[in-house]
Amino acid sequence: MAEAKGLSESDIKAISDRVIELSQADHCRVNIDSGWRGYTRVATNRITSAGGADRTAVTITSVFGKRVASINTNSIEGPDLEAAVRKSEAMARLAPESPEYMPELGLQNYRPTGGYYESTGELEPLTRAEAAAIAIRQAEASNQIAASYMDVRAGTSAVGTSNGLFGAHASTGVAYTLTSRTRDGLQSGWAGDEANDWNQIESQRVADDAVSKCRDWRKTELDPGQYTAILEPTAVGMLMLRMMNTFNQRLADEGRSYFSKSGGGNRLGEQLFDDRVSLRSDPGFVDAEAAPFTSEGQARVATNWVEDGRLVNLSRPRFWADQLGEEPLPGPGNFIMAGGDDSLEDMIASTERGVLITRFWYIRGLNPRIISYTGLTRDGTFLIENGRISRPVTNFRFNQSLVEMLKNVEMVGPSVRVAASENSSVSTPIVVPTLKVSGFNLSSVSDAI
Amino acid sequence: MAGKIPRVPVNHLGSATTAGSPFTPNSAPLQAGLSRRDFMRLSALAAASGLVLPRRPVAAQSMTSTESELLALAMDVARSEGADYADGRVIRTQFEAVGAREQMITQVQSTDSYGINVRALVGGSWGFAATQIFTRDAVANIAREAVAIARANNDVAPSTTVLAPVDIFPDADWVTPHSIDPFTIPIEDKAALLLRINEEALRVNNIRFSSSSILSVKEERLLATTEGSVVRQTLMRINPSINITAISPDGSDFQSRSAVVEPAGRGYEYVMGLELAANAQGWAEEAAMKLDAPGVEPGKWDLVLHPSNLWLTIHENIGHPTELDRALGFEANYAGTSFIYPPEDVIGKLKMGPEFLQFEGNRTEFGGCATTGWDDEGVPAEAWPIIKDGIFVDYQTTREQAAWISQHTGIDRSHGCSYGQNWESMPFQRMPNVSMLPGEENLSEDDVIAATERGILVEGRGSYSIDQQRYNIQFGGQVFWEIRNGRKYQMLRDVAYVGRTPEFWNSLDVIGGAQTYFLGASFGDAKGQPIQVNAVSHGCPISLFRDIDIINTA
Repeated sequence: MAEAKGLSESDIKAISDRVIELSQADHCRVNIDSGWRGYTRVATNRITSAGGADRTAVTITSVFGKRVASINTNSIEGPDLEAAVRKSEAMARLAPESPEYMPELGLQNYRPTGGYYESTGELEPLTRAEAAAIAIRQAEASNQIAASYMDVRAGTSAVGTSNGLFGAHASTGVAYTLTSRTRDGLQSGWAGDEANDWNQIESQRVADDAVSKCRDWRKTELDPGQYTAILEPTAVGMLMLRMMNTFNQRLADEGRSYFSKSGGGNRLGEQLFDDRVSLRSDPGFVDAEAAPFTSEGQARVATNWVEDGRLVNLSRPRFWADQLGEEPLPGPGNFIMAGGDDSLEDMIASTERGVLITRFWYIRGLNPRIISYTGLTRDGTFLIENGRISRPVTNFRFNQSLVEMLKNVEMVGPSVRVAASENSSVSTPIVVPTLKVSGFNLSSVSDAI
Repeated sequence: MAGKIPRVPVNHLGSATTAGSPFTPNSAPLQAGLSRRDFMRLSALAAASGLVLPRRPVAAQSMTSTESELLALAMDVARSEGADYADGRVIRTQFEAVGAREQMITQVQSTDSYGINVRALVGGSWGFAATQIFTRDAVANIAREAVAIARANNDVAPSTTVLAPVDIFPDADWVTPHSIDPFTIPIEDKAALLLRINEEALRVNNIRFSSSSILSVKEERLLATTEGSVVRQTLMRINPSINITAISPDGSDFQSRSAVVEPAGRGYEYVMGLELAANAQGWAEEAAMKLDAPGVEPGKWDLVLHPSNLWLTIHENIGHPTELDRALGFEANYAGTSFIYPPEDVIGKLKMGPEFLQFEGNRTEFGGCATTGWDDEGVPAEAWPIIKDGIFVDYQTTREQAAWISQHTGIDRSHGCSYGQNWESMPFQRMPNVSMLPGEENLSEDDVIAATERGILVEGRGSYSIDQQRYNIQFGGQVFWEIRNGRKYQMLRDVAYVGRTPEFWNSLDVIGGAQTYFLGASFGDAKGQPIQVNAVSHGCPISLFRDIDIINTA
C-alpha cells in the first residue's frame, strides 16, 4: 500500500517527540495535521478551477500549573519549531489560570478504525476531471448547465502529550456534488455523494440524478403549511449534522438544552422520540470512519445516544465528568441513524398528500430549547398526491423542531452515507435513511430556483 | 444626492500610518528574561525566546527581499512556461484568540500560517498551486504546476479571458489605519478585560453565564504580477464578542444577548473605545428582561431596523445578489445564484427601492473589514455605486469579470473585489464593504422612531436565513422594542421578520441621517468551493420599513 499523503506517521511522531523534548512547560500537548487537499470545480460546463496543496500544521499547547496556551503554526522547519514551543510557553506563562483545565492524558489504548483508502489518497487530477466530465457531457446533452465540486482529502492527524500519549490516524475523504440548471434559470437539480473511499463515489449516478431532477423540477405554486414530508437522505443528513451536537450533558445539566429537565438535571433515560429513532456514533463504521481519538487524546468508542427513541447517553467532557464523579464520554465523531426497510416507492405510494424534499440550504438555529431550525428547500421539491408524485412545486422555507420531527416519524428507509455539508466539503461522516415524517412545517414560499 | 459616508481617504502612495508597519525591517535585539509586557511586544514584532535565533522570525515581520525574489522567480517561471498572465502572493496570516467564560480563561490561542502561491492564466483557464516551503525549487515547481493545471483545463474546454486594464504599481504599500497593533497588547491585558466584562454581566439578576472573547487578525500580503505590480500590505481586523445568558429562577427558560458590538478593520484602540466592561451590565439587563418580555403578536408591523441589525440584512439581500459570479452561475453548486439577473435586463433598470435609496460598494471606508489598499490582482481600492436613486446600476467585479458587463455599465475597469483568504486559497470575487448611504434630511434615531405609530425596533443581528437566490428572508435580532405612538413602549421577544427582498426594500419609508450611520461587520462571509471566508463591513443609517410580516419564533 502506498504511504498516506502528507508526512509519514514516523515523521509525525518525530515532530511530536521533538516538541515534547523541547518543552520546558509542566505539561505539553502536540496536535499535528499533515496531508493533502485537492479539488476540481466546474461551472458553466467547464472546469473553472482545480488545484491542490500539501500542508502540515502543528498545534503546541503548553501548560504551567493551570495556565494554558496554544499556538498553531505551519512553520516547522529546524529552529522554527523550537521558536513556536517557546512562544506557546511564553503565552501560557502570561495566561490567567483556567480552573477547568484537566491534566494531559497518558498512554491510551486506541482501537484502530481504518478510514484511509488508497483509491482516494492516490486519486489523480485527471481521474477527477474525467468524473467531472461525465456530468458536463450529461448536462450538455440535456441542454443544462453543470456546476460541480469534488473535494478530496488525504492525510494523518496525530496527538501526543508529555505524559506519554501518542496516537495517529490516517484518513481520506471525498465529497462530490453537482447542481445542474437549465439555461433559462427556471429549473435546477442536485445530487451528491460522499465517502472515505473514492471507489464508493457513484459519479454516473450523481450525474444521472442531478440532470433528471433538473429536467423534472420546474416550480408550480403550492401553499405553505404543514405537510407530510418525505426527506431524502441528504435532507435528513443536513439536519442530523446539527442534531449530533446537542447531546451534551453539561448544557443539559445547566438548563441550556432540550435535554434539560425542568427543575434541574437532565432527561437521560426518557423516551423522547419515535421508537424507530436510534442515533449512534461509531468511529469504526466502514466507509464513514472517524478518528479513534479526540484532539485531547481521549479514546472515541461506539456510543448509542438514542436507542429506540430513548435518550441513553449525553457526552461528558473531562471536567464535567470529574465534577459528576463519572467517566468522561467524548461527543460523536461521526453520526449514524439506524435505517429501516421502507423503500422510497412505498413511502410515496402510502402518501395521500405530501412533499418530497431533495435537500436544504441555509440552515440556522432558532430555538435551542426545542432544537428548532429554519432553512430552505433547494434543487428538487415535489408534491405527492394519492400515492404518486403529481408535480414539481416551489421551494419553501421550513421552521421545524427536530424533536417534533423525530417524534413524527412514519417510515424509515435504508441508511446511506450522504454529503451533508452545505458547502460540499468533506464533512463529519453522516449516515442516514430516507424519512417520512408527518406535520413538517413549510412556513413560507421561496421564489428561488 | 444623499449624504456622504464619513471616511478616511485612502492614500495609495503610502500607509495612512507607519506605526507598527511590519514592513519596516525589525532589528530589535532579542533578549532573554523578558517582562510580560516586553514579551508580547517583542513577540508581535517577531521575537522568539532569545535562546534561538530562527532563520526567519516567528511572528509578524517584514516581507523580506527573499520573498520578493521568490515571487519574481515564480513570475519568470510562469511566463517562460507559457502563461498569458500570472500573479503570486506571499501571505502570512496570524490569528490570536483570547476567550473567557464567567471567571475563567477558556482560550489562549495563536495561529500562524505562512506560504506562497501562484495563479496562472492560459487562454481562458486558471491554474493555481501553493506551497509552505520557501525554497527556489519549491516555488519554481508551483509556478510550473499552476501553468500546467491551467493548460490542462484549457485543453479540456478552451475559452478566452480578457483581463480589465489596470495601472501598474511597482512599489506600493498599505497598512490598515490604526494606532495600536492588537498583537502588541499583552494577552494578560485582554484576559483581564474579558474577566471584568463577565464579572459585570454576572452582577445582574438571573444572569448565570457570560462568555467573551477577542479575536485579532493580521494578514501580511506581498503580491506580484507578471505585469509588474508589487504590492505589500498589512490588513488588521479585530472582533470583540460577548454572549450573556439569563436563566429563569425556576429553570424553565433561558435567553441570551449576544452580538453586542461589531468587528472592525481597525486596531486595538477600537476595542478600548467600546467601553465593554462599563456597558456589560446594560447588555446583561437586556438578557434578563427578555425572560419576562411578552412574545410578539405575529402579523404586519412597521419595522425600525437599527444599523446593528440592518447591516446583516444588507449583507444578505444586497451584498450577495450583486456578486457578478454568483449572478452568472459560477456559485450555483453552493453559495447560489441571484435574483438580480440577467445583467443586460437589470443594470440601470431594476428598481430596488425608493428614490432615496443609495448603495455603494467600497473598499475604502475607514474601519471596514473589507477595506484595503489594493485587491489580490493589484487593482487599487475604490468606491462605486451599486444602487443609485433606487435603481440597480452595477455589480461587484474582478479584472476577469469587468469585461462581461462593461457594455451595460460603460465601465471597463475592475472594481477591485479579488481576494483569497490565505496562501492556500485561489483568489476570486469577494464582497467589498457594501454600504447604504445616510439620508440628506439628517434625521436622528428618535425622529425615525417618532415616525412610527405601531412598530418594532430591532437591535443586533439574530438568526438569519435566506434562500440561494436571495428572495425569501427570515431575519431575527437580539433586542426588540415595541413602538407605540412614536415611542419605545416595552420589550418584546421571539421576533423574526420575513418577506421577499424586492418588496422588503421597496417598503423602505424613512431613513436616518449621518448621525445614525454605523458599520456592522462579519468575519464569516462564506463562498466558493473549497469554501473561503471573507471579512466585510456594511454601513447604514437607522431605517423604517412599513407593513412587514412578523412571525413569532418561540
